Amino acid sequence: MKSFGNLNQRIYLDHNASTPLFPALEEEFGRWLKLYGNPSSVHWEGRESKRLIRESRKKLAEWLKVHSDEVIFTSGGSEANNLALQGGLRSLASSLHLGEVLTSDVNKSSFVFSHPSFSLKSLKTLGLLVSVVEHPSVLETARQLESQGIRLDFVPVKKRSGEIDLEVYEEKLKGQEIHLVSVMYANNETGHIYPIKKMAALAHKWGALFHSDMIQALGKLPFSLEDLDVDFATFSGHKFCALKGSGFLYVKKAVGVHPQMYGGKQEKGYRAGTENLLSIASMGSMAEFKEEMEGREKEIQKMRDEMEREIKKNLSGVYVVGQECQRLPNTSHIIFQAVDGESLLMNLDLRGFALSSRSACHSGASEPSSVLLAMGFSEEEAKSSLRISLGWDTKKEDLERFVQVLMEEVRYLRSISGEKASMRKEENVF
Amino acid sequence: MSFKNSSSFVEERSEKKRVLVAMSGGVDSSVAAALLVEQGFDVIGVTMQVWDYSASNQLEKKGSCCSPSDVEDARAVADHLRIPFYVLDCESKFQTNVIDNFMDSYFEGETPLPCVQCNTHLKFDHLFIKMKELKCHFLATGHYAQIKSSPVHLVESSSFRDSKNRGKGKKSVFTKNREKVSSLRPMVLTSSDDFKDQTYFLFTLKPEVLPFLKFPVGSWTKERVREYARKKSLPVAFKKDSTGLCFVGKQSYSNFIQERLSQSSYLRKSNVSGLFRKHPEGDILGEHRGIHFFTYGQRRGLGLSSPTPLYVIRIDPESKTVWLGEEKCLYADEAWVREAHFLGDFSFQEKLSVKIRFSHKGSLATLRQEASLLHLKFDEPQKAITPGQAAVFYRGSQLLGGGWIVRRETKTHGNCIQAQQSKILN
Repeated sequence: MKSFGNLNQRIYLDHNASTPLFPALEEEFGRWLKLYGNPSSVHWEGRESKRLIRESRKKLAEWLKVHSDEVIFTSGGSEANNLALQGGLRSLASSLHLGEVLTSDVNKSSFVFSHPSFSLKSLKTLGLLVSVVEHPSVLETARQLESQGIRLDFVPVKKRSGEIDLEVYEEKLKGQEIHLVSVMYANNETGHIYPIKKMAALAHKWGALFHSDMIQALGKLPFSLEDLDVDFATFSGHKFCALKGSGFLYVKKAVGVHPQMYGGKQEKGYRAGTENLLSIASMGSMAEFKEEMEGREKEIQKMRDEMEREIKKNLSGVYVVGQECQRLPNTSHIIFQAVDGESLLMNLDLRGFALSSRSACHSGASEPSSVLLAMGFSEEEAKSSLRISLGWDTKKEDLERFVQVLMEEVRYLRSISGEKASMRKEENVF
Repeated sequence: MSFKNSSSFVEERSEKKRVLVAMSGGVDSSVAAALLVEQGFDVIGVTMQVWDYSASNQLEKKGSCCSPSDVEDARAVADHLRIPFYVLDCESKFQTNVIDNFMDSYFEGETPLPCVQCNTHLKFDHLFIKMKELKCHFLATGHYAQIKSSPVHLVESSSFRDSKNRGKGKKSVFTKNREKVSSLRPMVLTSSDDFKDQTYFLFTLKPEVLPFLKFPVGSWTKERVREYARKKSLPVAFKKDSTGLCFVGKQSYSNFIQERLSQSSYLRKSNVSGLFRKHPEGDILGEHRGIHFFTYGQRRGLGLSSPTPLYVIRIDPESKTVWLGEEKCLYADEAWVREAHFLGDFSFQEKLSVKIRFSHKGSLATLRQEASLLHLKFDEPQKAITPGQAAVFYRGSQLLGGGWIVRRETKTHGNCIQAQQSKILN
């Protein structure tokens, strides 16, 4: 099939969207697949399955330097984000309703199990603050909560640089009663890393809980929650070489969260439903390979930086988003003047390279990146960009080949847009 | 158009020609794609996402074309055929060129043809550029129309040139040498299926685009298309044809417009109610809620009782008056057309068959240039010639071109005379 490129020789550079299974995990499948017992069952088969979950939870907790009790398995990152925002706010609502005041200083030995009945009316007392660059599973959830009565406000990012101004952030906290803040650790589209430690501290100073979507960070750089002092953190298995279908929410001890899924008492009642054993086991196993992945951080960053230099050297009208900011080592979001980003992606796919420009909407159309728009780029610029995200196993020669093809395609599309412009007698965009 | 400068394309070294197929998720475009794969082309399937259904309050518009489930149908067909498939973001282009035009037309007392706007600005403009960007040799759709090449004929020097050569005084040359590509002029012909023929909506095709177009199902009947789909086990083989405008779905056009009137861009047009007047005398018959609820020739839904049936004879957007009259007043034997566009040569001495709406059978008319407009004089009076619709010209089965019918005072046939019009309008 000529148009897909040779299927065996495709080069995958979309690791922020999803990652291939870590090769060593395949050896474990034989053992895991034999564990078919329901982890909640009384019998031996169930206990063996339950053990695998317990071990996986322990390994992940150790990786992040947190307590096993603080890990709640979910079906993935989106569910974990929903649980943090909806579950966190509903818990706050009911505890406020009951007269309790929760702060992260309270030292209790187990989760605060919020009262199951809460009124929508009490939600209206709550304020939620999220950044403008969050993933749709945070933004959409926030908007839904707003329609249910929550006060919603946004932390902006600086124009074009994309950084968060901590003074502006603190003003937002001071100016209104905020109960929960949600800011991601690292941006999936541009790779920006935000000052989470300081932001969490400021949130606590002003009486708010702090959630961080850390999906893009785990596995890409050395990481622990030990000194970050966040109250909630989201992770997703298929972003760090585990299987799709599982993620987890870290909830700090003494912080309350309301379940979103009712039914059985799995996950101590915080998330009903028979566990996705295979996916959870794959996540747990990845903890054993964290050195392999995190250890390549410097090397990957070097390859990424070299790639950006090469592209800028050989092409004009190239803008690397956030180049001067702290970014994930593997991510590069580049704007190419006078290039139709949609066509660039398609042509690269047809030549065997997998990339993206943003999280795809439900029908798969490539719309302009909302993160770039939030960063103050024009619609034209946001429609002319490409996101390149390397993986722990990306080879230097593959990247070099990609750069070569990328330059050919950019030049070709620019020749067409030149024709297009003269056809329409439009001025050039930039 | 040359790919010579693209080393990437040369690198492919594929003998296969590449075709971009516009897939709506319907049977016709699915079969078009399947046929091209069978014919050995390197096929790329695309769907244009033109409408953000998540923003609409309505349930998914099944059966209206291009809904999310239609996109999934197109994707399923592409997967079945093992061809690459992409969804193209066309929402803002569609909003500007199709929806806005649709809304504006009604408020100008016209009845719009959004499918032609979509063809003009999206299918054969935006997609044509995509075709080049994706290094395709051809663009294909599931339209019921045919493209055939024929040697160019010698024409009289007083003839009306096709739009490209207009005014240049060049004569076309007849040549027996069929190897010279430049001497072959592609023509658009009607489909083999009279009922399904869609050439009416294709009159704005530019001649320079024709050599790159393919209509794989154009020479087939609908039955044959469905039979082929079944034979090839295409996922959409038993899918019903979509009806109505793709962005309106099953609701009425006036409902659609009413819904959008609350949007800020259309607010200034919201005060469109006015009077019903009797044509030609001018007597006031009643009030109406808005000129956008009416179209020429309309009889139902007037909200008036009358001893004789009344029809919408004319709509005046300036005074917001809807003129009602007897059926005989609907007939006229002339029309004026703006932005007339031609796909081939013809002579003003020639009478052409003109369709004044999609369902019209076509009637012979003489064409004449009148300042910036084209004047059409029909041999027979025609019923309800409607501003905003297209007058499309044919020489037999050959689509020659067309233009947009404008609102003009016309001499009418029969006993219905226009009198005192100017007195009433003042």
